[in-house]
Amino acid sequence: MAAIELKHVFKKYDDKVTAVNDFNLTIEDKEFVVFVGPSGCGKSTTLRMIAGLEEISSGELWMDGQIMNQVKPNKRNVAMVFQNYALYPHMTVFENIAYSMKLKHITKKEMQKKVSEVAKILDIETILDRKPKELSGGQKQRVAIGRAMVRNPRVFLMDEPLSNLDAKLRNKMRAEIHHLYQMLKTTFIYVTHDQTEAMTLGTKIVVMKDGIVQQVASAKELYRNPANVFVAQFIGSPQMNLLHGKIFYRDKKYFLMVHDYRIDLPKEMGEKLEQKDYIGKKVFVGVRPEDVEVLDMSRGGDGLKMNIEAQELLGVQTNLFLKRKDTHMAVVVKGRSDRAIGSECAICLDTDKIHLFDIDTEKNILKQKHDPK
Amino acid sequence: MEKIERWKQRGTLAIRLLLLAIAGIFTIFPFVWMIVSALKTKAEIMDTSVFFAKVPQWANFKSIFSDSPLLHYVWNSLFVSTLTLALQLLFGTLIAYAVVFMEFRGRKLLFAIIMGTYMLPTAATYIPSYIILADMNLLNTFTGLIISNCVSIFGIFLLRQAFMQVPMGLIEAARIDGASHWKILWRVVAPMTKSSFITFGLMNFITCYNSYMWPSLITDDPDKSLVSQGLRRFFIEGGSYGTEWPLVMAGSTIIVLPLLILFAFTQKWFINGIGGDTGMKG
Repeated sequence: MAAIELKHVFKKYDDKVTAVNDFNLTIEDKEFVVFVGPSGCGKSTTLRMIAGLEEISSGELWMDGQIMNQVKPNKRNVAMVFQNYALYPHMTVFENIAYSMKLKHITKKEMQKKVSEVAKILDIETILDRKPKELSGGQKQRVAIGRAMVRNPRVFLMDEPLSNLDAKLRNKMRAEIHHLYQMLKTTFIYVTHDQTEAMTLGTKIVVMKDGIVQQVASAKELYRNPANVFVAQFIGSPQMNLLHGKIFYRDKKYFLMVHDYRIDLPKEMGEKLEQKDYIGKKVFVGVRPEDVEVLDMSRGGDGLKMNIEAQELLGVQTNLFLKRKDTHMAVVVKGRSDRAIGSECAICLDTDKIHLFDIDTEKNILKQKHDPK
Repeated sequence: MEKIERWKQRGTLAIRLLLLAIAGIFTIFPFVWMIVSALKTKAEIMDTSVFFAKVPQWANFKSIFSDSPLLHYVWNSLFVSTLTLALQLLFGTLIAYAVVFMEFRGRKLLFAIIMGTYMLPTAATYIPSYIILADMNLLNTFTGLIISNCVSIFGIFLLRQAFMQVPMGLIEAARIDGASHWKILWRVVAPMTKSSFITFGLMNFITCYNSYMWPSLITDDPDKSLVSQGLRRFFIEGGSYGTEWPLVMAGSTIIVLPLLILFAFTQKWFINGIGGDTGMKG
């Protein structure tokens, strides 16, 4: 039985704005689900509907085989960690963590035991007597997580828990959350706009845009087999390049033209395109910066000729920014590059590594149906 | 340059202190005058050429305690003010919480109507209120006095403004923790807005304690007089030898005492707003 199921869930405000549009998702027990997308895509709203902080306009929310739409937040057995920590400022760390137990009239001894257990895991034993204003950002976040942990919830809900921390601390806390997930072995639902967090933490990632689910898949699958242009460009950094191309069939050969560069397509791929009626049609050609081969002009070669516009030396890799008329591309090459800015180069694309998208619907033409697990 | 800067700073500080001192003198002078006059004889009070009494007339105070019902009036005032304030706080808190944190149809309209009644001059409500109290047989009673003042629009407004500064995330965190509205109000919201409660309490207590017009309209039983009424009735109207100013002054000094004590204990929190950390970031 699925732990959580959302069936045709909508969130509408004043019957005008649709924040979440027909959200369907099945979350299995012990999954780490990440909702990711740009701000305003409805990811937090969906999380808040699961928490019970926001009413569901239509559709159904099921948890462990029970419909939850009308159940109060505290009866859903969920715990939430907020972006802004939401610690009670007038209570000490201990009181903050123990507050939910106090409301349940749990004995002092039991409270003390549970709080110290959690504090030990989170390494906050020494700050239990302090008030939130005396804590650093990272400590506050730990306390917030501790407050969620003492409740032994069925599901952890986390709403951008790391976005207020600086980059270094964020990486550290990200690793800790991952560790926590492995240790607690319970279901997590995590909201973020940061694709790195989504890719590293999630066992199942839900990419959202404008209240609509774009793709539900594992990190690997999202990266290798994006459902549409939005997902393709949202996941990965630098983002996927998008070129204009056209598909041809001549002399019993299928090929793709990008400017004057001809890429021969394998027969199987060509036939699929023919079946879908794309011969002679324009398409978007997506290619990840690291999947582009850069050739030196001196060696000749028949790639797509481009000029180097800028480059970023990052140590292990170099980002090259190429240009040809109004076509721009980012390319990642290993190590350092000694190419001069303004010089010409040629790029080569591997048919295994390109993604073709419909010009109008922006959907991945060749995407195979995969199990979202 | 540095020297000029330092002189400038000192100059501003001096001007600031001077202005505060002047304002302070203006504020405290009537008090000083009242206390000084309370120790004078009747003749000395009328003589503007002497400021301090030649011989302090402590007997003035003694006669207030022994010969006048003033202490009874102080008790009446304290009793009525405390109960009125308790009700004002309770009702004000509940409505402010509902208006800020609960979602229901007509929430904004409700608040607009509440604030609208604030525009109404108090004097315009005297006659209808009088009639209502008369119909309920509550004229000349403490109950009438208390219930006719048990809602304070100013207080509702003050608390609403304070509650609005409490981050919504805290309320939501408390809801998920399993706190009821009642618990959220008293365990989360109220401790965070303590200073507004104290400001509300102090200001309304003083207003109620000092109130004169309305109590004198609805009570005429001397036994039920509040301090301002009592002072007037006993020393000003009733004095057969003309107004006994030294006694009026001594009485006033005693009347003011509870308020000063109250203020001394609460001034730390008075008009302080929500200071410092609210537990939320961003």
